[in-house]
Amino acid sequence: MEKEFTPKIVGFLCNWCSYAGADLAGTSKLKMPPSLAVIRVMCSSRVDPVLVLRAFLRGADGVLIAGCHPGDCHYEKGNYYARRRFALLKSVVETLELDSERLQLSWVSASEGPRFQQVVTEFTEKLKKLGPNPMQEKTSM
Amino acid sequence: MKGAILKIENSIEKTIIEFLKKGLDKKLFDALLIPVKVPAGDSYAWVLVQDKALLEDANPLPPVMSVQGAKALSSITRRGKSNKKIAAIMRPCEIRASIELSKLQQIDLENICLVSIDCPGALPLKDYLEDTKKGIDTFKKVIKEWGNESVRPICQMCDKSVGLSIQSDLHIGILGAKNNEIYLIPSSQKGKSILEEIGIPAEESTDNWEKKTKEFVETRKKNRKKAQSTLSEKVMGLDNLLETFSNCINCHNCQSVCPICYCRQCYFESEKMKLSSDDYLIRAESKGILRFLPDTLLFHIGRMTHMSLSCVGCGACEDACPMSIKVAQIFSMVGDKSQKVFNYTPGKSIEEQLPLKVYEEDEFHEVEKP
Ligand code: SF4
Ligand code: SF4
Ligand code: SF4
Ligand code: FES
Repeated sequence: MEKEFTPKIVGFLCNWCSYAGADLAGTSKLKMPPSLAVIRVMCSSRVDPVLVLRAFLRGADGVLIAGCHPGDCHYEKGNYYARRRFALLKSVVETLELDSERLQLSWVSASEGPRFQQVVTEFTEKLKKLGPNPMQEKTSM
Repeated sequence: MKGAILKIENSIEKTIIEFLKKGLDKKLFDALLIPVKVPAGDSYAWVLVQDKALLEDANPLPPVMSVQGAKALSSITRRGKSNKKIAAIMRPCEIRASIELSKLQQIDLENICLVSIDCPGALPLKDYLEDTKKGIDTFKKVIKEWGNESVRPICQMCDKSVGLSIQSDLHIGILGAKNNEIYLIPSSQKGKSILEEIGIPAEESTDNWEKKTKEFVETRKKNRKKAQSTLSEKVMGLDNLLETFSNCINCHNCQSVCPICYCRQCYFESEKMKLSSDDYLIRAESKGILRFLPDTLLFHIGRMTHMSLSCVGCGACEDACPMSIKVAQIFSMVGDKSQKVFNYTPGKSIEEQLPLKVYEEDEFHEVEKP
């Protein structure tokens, strides 16, 4: 029998909200999809689009950026800048006709353990439908 | 819009030089930044000149763009304003790049007078260098026919090379002028007072220039659309991208000549891109095969995310690519799209803020996944 495809997700989580939310999901023993690799960043605005591309071009099936809800950023406005950068990244990836559906930006607060679970689960489901990232096999460069 | 009219004597180039000399005489500016033929005679270099006598070989509209003018201006003023007044005579894409660089704090425009010129395009550097005599003749034809097919592909689709969209202090209008005339059109107080001091106040109608340049821009817009849709079919999508960049030799020429890529330390040349052999071996194993030098696509797409919002489509990158990759055409197409997302036109105005430096609280909800 063929093994079920488990999408690999790289998640950039901001220290103050989403990382804490993920932590809460963990300590609350919420059931999580198995392959989320978490990278903790101090703020969602730290995520240079190049970091996302690095994961994406290497073959990560999905890349998630998660930060505090707008208005709640620990540094006041980081996530507003992050949203603009993400809009730019999306546009570049779309123009190049690559799979921009594999990139996601979500807001998760420190108290939203169940929400974090939901975001990751839904993203995983979506990626399952999309199948493995073709970058993995196709590109050697 | 009003302008002054100059009678052409000898040639357009010489007429402009004579005008600039008057500006030097009257101390309206202390120096010029202008392309001058190199001693070997086969190319052009930016020169900062204070001495009129040295303007013999200067050319405000050279057949090629060897160094992007904004880069030259940036080397002069990135540490702070010039203490003397400099008039910089540049092509419109060089003016636009200068405005972007001033927003990026790499150019200080105080004491700089930007002089732009209607541009019919530039010849590909490679073509020109192969036979410079022929190149000079070819370029004469280019001016006569205003931007024919000998100019670089990126120039053939440039829709900002003439007309009102150019934000300099003083603009030299060629299109739509009578056979033996050119226009001098001020677009700032600086430009206006220069004309007044020289004794040719802007009082003549420039209607014909406005009309002709508008028509020209319309044609170019159509060219651009057509060229981009052809390009898109060949370049976009993973397979096409891989093929397009498969010739890339990772020399990073495209990045180092780009006026917008000003970073003292480029991310793609930093330690962050130098990984351990284990990392490469793991990737080789999981991909089955790994090409070296590595991370070519990451370099190009990453660079697009860094600078495409300010890409002025000047073609410097493409001229510098030893592998004839259509870098400028690709980057400026990606740039067009991302600029549209932010309703931003690089180099259009000094007041318009760089899109990544500002935000609104209520926007771009379509990119968030609730
Ligand atoms: S590619 Fe990015 S890091 Fe490199 S010089 Fe350009 S903007 Fe700077
Ligand atoms: S990417 Fe190329 S076309 Fe765009 S500004 Fe840089 S050098 Fe000019
Ligand atoms: S100049 Fe050409 S060959 Fe060199 S890195 Fe850029 S695209 Fe590749
Ligand atoms: S600290 Fe969480 S988004 Fe800025």
